Amino acid sequence: MELGGYAGRYLRVDLSSGKVWVKETPKELIRNYLGGLGFAVKILWDEVDEHTDPLGPDNRLVISTGPLTGTMFPAAGRYQVNAKSPLTGIWGHANAGGFFGPELKFAGYDFIVIQGRAERPVYLVIDDDLVELRDASHLWGEERNGRFYGGKTTFETIQMIREELGDETFKVAAIGPAGENTVRFASIINDLGNAAGRTGMGAVMGSKRLKAIAVRGSRGVRVAKPELFMEVVDDAYRKLLVDWGDALKETLTKYGTPNLVEAINAMGRMPVKNHWTGYWEKAHLIGGERIREEFRVKQASCFGCLVQCKYFVRSRKEPYAGIYKGPEYEALVSFGSSLLVEDVEAVFYANHLADLYGMDSISLGMTIAWAMESWEHGLLTKEETGGLDLSWGNAEAMVELVKKTAFREGFGNMIAEGSKRASEIIGRGTERFAMHVKGNEISAQDGRAHQSSGLTHATAARGADHLTSLSCLEERGYEQVAAERYGADKVKDLVDPQSTRYKGWLVWDLEMLYALGNSLIICWYEVGWPPVFYYPDMARAAAAATGIAEFGDPNEVKRIAKRIAIHRRMFNVREGLRRKDDTLPDRFLKEPMPTGPAKGHVCRLHEMLDDYYEAAGIDKETGVPKDETLRELGLGELAGRWR
Amino acid sequence: MGWEVVFVAQMMLLITPELCTGCRLCEGACSFHHYRVIQPSRSRITVVKFEDRGLDVPVTCLQCDDAPCVAACPTSALWKDEESGLVVYEAERCIGCKSCITACPFGGVGWDAETNSILKCDWCGGDPQCARICPTGAIKWVRADQADDTKRRMVALRMQEVAQNLMAPKRAGV
Repeated sequence: MELGGYAGRYLRVDLSSGKVWVKETPKELIRNYLGGLGFAVKILWDEVDEHTDPLGPDNRLVISTGPLTGTMFPAAGRYQVNAKSPLTGIWGHANAGGFFGPELKFAGYDFIVIQGRAERPVYLVIDDDLVELRDASHLWGEERNGRFYGGKTTFETIQMIREELGDETFKVAAIGPAGENTVRFASIINDLGNAAGRTGMGAVMGSKRLKAIAVRGSRGVRVAKPELFMEVVDDAYRKLLVDWGDALKETLTKYGTPNLVEAINAMGRMPVKNHWTGYWEKAHLIGGERIREEFRVKQASCFGCLVQCKYFVRSRKEPYAGIYKGPEYEALVSFGSSLLVEDVEAVFYANHLADLYGMDSISLGMTIAWAMESWEHGLLTKEETGGLDLSWGNAEAMVELVKKTAFREGFGNMIAEGSKRASEIIGRGTERFAMHVKGNEISAQDGRAHQSSGLTHATAARGADHLTSLSCLEERGYEQVAAERYGADKVKDLVDPQSTRYKGWLVWDLEMLYALGNSLIICWYEVGWPPVFYYPDMARAAAAATGIAEFGDPNEVKRIAKRIAIHRRMFNVREGLRRKDDTLPDRFLKEPMPTGPAKGHVCRLHEMLDDYYEAAGIDKETGVPKDETLRELGLGELAGRWR
Repeated sequence: MGWEVVFVAQMMLLITPELCTGCRLCEGACSFHHYRVIQPSRSRITVVKFEDRGLDVPVTCLQCDDAPCVAACPTSALWKDEESGLVVYEAERCIGCKSCITACPFGGVGWDAETNSILKCDWCGGDPQCARICPTGAIKWVRADQADDTKRRMVALRMQEVAQNLMAPKRAGV
């Protein structure tokens, strides 16, 4: 039977020589690593190592789709960008929605591997079988006397390339000035406002002098068993629209992720003042209800999605006036409550600038939060900040710093290094205000109010990150889901945010589940929250789409997911990471939550960590996956090499 | 699939762009129905996107009564079925001159490079898949003589929301 779901080919682009190869997607790669994230784990393991400079020509940028990308399965419109991260020096990846991923599949490619470094700035055009590198000098900025000039924003770049190619329907993923200047958390933006945000994938692209990738595809996607697949899709629709319909209609579909502001604040888990506390009396000022009533102008969507959480806002207030893609929960926190900025329109604008210049809103906001707290403690001077007053809540300073960071101007040059590096350069005790794990800024959760989210932050492969394994069972008290998946006897603990019992196992189970989601590539907002799809649903969809019978076995896809997650962990082990690195800043472990519903709690990480290692088959002493775990997953050749 | 469709009244696809979120499920459903492939390039309905303004407009054949494509077709491969209201395309008669594409004032006719024939909405034989899948109601399959009612009702519902907001007591602090 013909293989469905996959395009069956991939592209390799060597920017140093300007050569492009079209190759067949290896069958064993598909069978063992499924797609998306899985493909990238294998490729980066093989082609990158501990000596690779993330910003050097040897690093690989892997842009990948999964077997469900571009199919009718709900919310299968995303793609993965993967590379060794210039922010953390370890495993890096980001995932973005919009329309770029499906278009790459429609053009007939499962993934692209980009290597080398172009002599002059270029952009890559993929028009079905026609692949070419074009000059991008006119889109790229230039450095004169140590200052950076020009450099088209992501929006300008996307529109200009579409004009040059004479077709508005080209899907373009581009970097802005931040990527060109290798800001360590630079993002890649596609389709005006969808970001592959985290871990500096835009900086990797910038270091390769690749300004953008434009794709147009006419081939479409074939699934192996069309009738069966449409049955699977119908069932998935029923689950989303009927079983979870009311929940979605009142949350994500109505408000988008800003709905989380009120909900998460109510559980005392919303970062306020650089993660100082988890509750803000003024949360309603940046909340979903207010945004919907006063600013929302339009609902939007990624490819093939029923949830439709995207939206547009309009601000009428100068100097922030304009129509913008609405910020997500994470950006509302990182530019809002984290900095005590009450002016939500300034948050819209900062988020928009982050998209224009191409920067991760989480790392950017949280690094500014580090600076503001250092300022509060008198550890930064006005000379160092270039005259900026970094008092809490200073929205103008925030906006100014966002601009300066993209161009590495003045103090922006420090912010551009991320909180870990910047605090190490400045020293003087500012290190204790750098809220990061493994160099990646901590996203908008707090392990003191939600114990398992602390474990997630501590163990996630790309550094402090929620999407790797965050559990929503406690967030919303999904007792029925918890009982179905893990047994009725465990429900009480599983839905209790302050209980650490079973949480190690829970987080490992979700790490595998989300690895599977990122490999088939379906959105977190139907796998993570709300917890609609689980291994059996994904197995059924994978088998019907690909025609590979083995994928129909939930245990087999779980084994593949485990292989992907463990192999990804081995990438970090090879970089030298061990158990000691799976930790959190002292603020979460030692400073009790000062205010709000979770007042008095710390994150009891040590109570969960051993369980997590045991569930994953990882050695508790070292944090290295055990030899038998590696062998069981067919990774025997890695056994015994790292202790 | 053996549909036997009895038309009691002329139907139409009612398109309301302000409800469209641009997810393109209609394109996927259309191409899948006709070719068993998810292939937007061969869909007979296309969402035109203005990303900078957040505007999305589904464009397809409007099945005109006095259809320019029918007038332009030199081989009568396109003709109006007076009973159902559908502009019917007969591929066997088509010589591929593309006059219909030129003549259509709406961009409702496209070209399929894989089969060298035109892409034009056929209402999926009476159960348009785009309307069936549309999650927002931007594409609706309605009786033509009641389309204005449907539209009025949607507008009225929104007016009601506005009225409620106006009459609601002003919230503290806003």
